[in-house]
Amino acid sequence: MFLTDLLRPKTLAHAHCDLPCGVYDPEQARIEAESCYKIIEKYNASNDDQFKTRAIVIKEERAELAKHHIDVLWSDYFKPEHVQKYPEITELCWKAAKQCSKVKGSLDIGDARTLIDMIDKIDEVWTKAGGPQATRVAKAAARA
Amino acid sequence: MEPALRDGDWLVVTTLGGPYRVGEIVLAPDPRAPDRLVLKRIAAIAGDLCTLLGDQPDQSTDSRHFGPVPLAAIRGRALFRYAPIDRFGRL
Repeated sequence: MFLTDLLRPKTLAHAHCDLPCGVYDPEQARIEAESCYKIIEKYNASNDDQFKTRAIVIKEERAELAKHHIDVLWSDYFKPEHVQKYPEITELCWKAAKQCSKVKGSLDIGDARTLIDMIDKIDEVWTKAGGPQATRVAKAAARA
Repeated sequence: MEPALRDGDWLVVTTLGGPYRVGEIVLAPDPRAPDRLVLKRIAAIAGDLCTLLGDQPDQSTDSRHFGPVPLAAIRGRALFRYAPIDRFGRL
């Protein structure tokens, strides 16, 4: 064993920060969840084993991305004052993130549908909390 | 937390040294995800709670996001850096 191994810290702490671009939208998670939904549809309609294998791999990636986007919304966008005003948001995000894990391992289209519906509930809170105005860059038509 | 801390610094953190004071860098759990530990500077102490802020306010995720942190939750103060060796010294 080298001396550096002995001295290496056992605990990791974060001192650096996210660079907060400030753009947060549940739509990002929804698009990934929609991908899962459509992939399961295509998987069930196919008889091609190679295609089905690829479909499973890609669905798992998409479900993981959906989970990431939900985590970012919860940890970076929703602030204590939002939680105070809309206390349901913590459970909505928590359950939706868990549903992403379920969709990862599932080929039941109902699980993907449930995930989309859960993200829509998060979207309702995000909209009530002023998300569209606070976080998105306006389209050209809206600026004119 | 740059320039005080850099990514990859190895630090000694201790609970010794009496009550925490404003200006000290402390190790605390992120109240939103207690398994995640953060190093931030104490900006203010009020009763049993403290406000933690990063040294780079534009880029820091701190008490402005996760609220005040109970002093009892703090795991210790960052005392000195022992690696990299050219930046060895008290914090």
